[in-house]
Amino acid sequence: MFSFTKEQKVFDISGIKIGGQPGVFPTVLIGGLFFKGEPDFNSAEEQIKNMLNLSKKLANPSITDFFIRKEEFIENILDFIVKKYPKNHPISIDIIEPDLKIKTLEILDEKKLLSRTIYNSIHVGITPEEQDALKNHTPNAAIIVAFNPKDKSPDGKIEILQNGANLIDTGLLELTNKIGIRNVLIDTAAMAPGDYSGAAIASIPVIKEEFGFPTGCAIHNVVEKSKWLDDFKSARKPVDASSNANIPLFGGDFAIFGPIHNSDIVFPIITWQDILISEYVENYFGVLPDDFHPRRKLI
Amino acid sequence: MSDDYYPWGGEFTVCKKNGCVAVVILNLDFTPSNNVAIYGPLKTENIGIEKIVANVISNPHIRYIVICGKDIRGHRSGSSLVALIKNGIDKNNKIIDAPGAIPYIENLKIEAIERFQKQIEVVDLIGVSDISRIEKNIEECIKKSPNSFGKPYIAIKLKQKAEITLEDKRVIHSKIIVDYMGKIKKRGE
Repeated sequence: MFSFTKEQKVFDISGIKIGGQPGVFPTVLIGGLFFKGEPDFNSAEEQIKNMLNLSKKLANPSITDFFIRKEEFIENILDFIVKKYPKNHPISIDIIEPDLKIKTLEILDEKKLLSRTIYNSIHVGITPEEQDALKNHTPNAAIIVAFNPKDKSPDGKIEILQNGANLIDTGLLELTNKIGIRNVLIDTAAMAPGDYSGAAIASIPVIKEEFGFPTGCAIHNVVEKSKWLDDFKSARKPVDASSNANIPLFGGDFAIFGPIHNSDIVFPIITWQDILISEYVENYFGVLPDDFHPRRKLI
Repeated sequence: MSDDYYPWGGEFTVCKKNGCVAVVILNLDFTPSNNVAIYGPLKTENIGIEKIVANVISNPHIRYIVICGKDIRGHRSGSSLVALIKNGIDKNNKIIDAPGAIPYIENLKIEAIERFQKQIEVVDLIGVSDISRIEKNIEECIKKSPNSFGKPYIAIKLKQKAEITLEDKRVIHSKIIVDYMGKIKKRGE
């Protein structure tokens, strides 16, 4: 349990506060919503409602991460957000392909959703066209993935953020700032086991002390890629959910967990962890929890 | 898994030790015959490709790579592997003309990549999901029964140098100092 010397930035993303010293604001839980095949919006609505209820009960804010994998799904998914997702609640839009990202940005703008969009994500593979699209249709916030193919250590992650590690002309932080996105969340890029997976967690306090931005990661990806867990079927889900507890313990601000139907396990684990941290940091560092912290609500 | 013949490990299945074909499976449910040397899925256009290169050059019997199935969205890993074989990498270690999002080869020496390019011939079946067509192509490669490329090339993973001394009281990382209560400070400030 840590406290940082560097001033920690706190962003208010469409009503959800994220960042700061450990123990002030609860860990923000970003639940991944993937559609296998055609989107099933009835099930999606249920999953989101369940996550929002857990948020209400336990006080850890939640954001849905909408994974869009095909052009024909953009319009439907964004319409679903407009009609069924709580008004003004932030959304995370998660897309891999640059062309699809560009098209989605245009439609997010048309549907007036940019003010509550977290763009997931900006990384070293960003194209000039994507940068232009982001300048024309600027989202409220962006997740920067600190993936450095050259060096997956915390140093490598800092390098890619700071100067682009000779892979791109400028660091990803400056690039994002030039685009005009101020609310920056740093994802420490969790790698597969055998590929420096622990660096994603160890990088959290290093990056927060270096830059002061809200930091977290999708540590569940490491669990997904732990093939040896296939022999322990009943343990896979608890291991997956509890892996997220590493993030607040190392000072992190958000966990991108997945899939969203793991919410029932992930939320209580993180709430429990946040309370534990808050009790320590108040006693030793005098850091008080925010009025809406789980400790205020549950203890 | 890892194997003496395939020291870099990965998600693959080893079949015939002196087989001449490695099968790279993209989005496809396909189990090749036991006559191939090795097969497995490819997901990422950087680390995934690195593992294929390292594990192929360590077995000189492999002379063909058959890449089949629908390419991975966004990552375009299959097409990026083809680009590596055709074009190699530039001075920034980026695969030349690769369509993937982050196609960088950072953990292999250039000699390893050149060896890979020389050792293997690519059979590009990206976009092909017709199993019988893929099997036919694999069989054609096997029938050619090419000679071994010679000695195995064991690629060493390039690693960052880490210097640790007794005076260096690092906790978590050398850039920060963590005191006994958990207060973090940047080292040197």
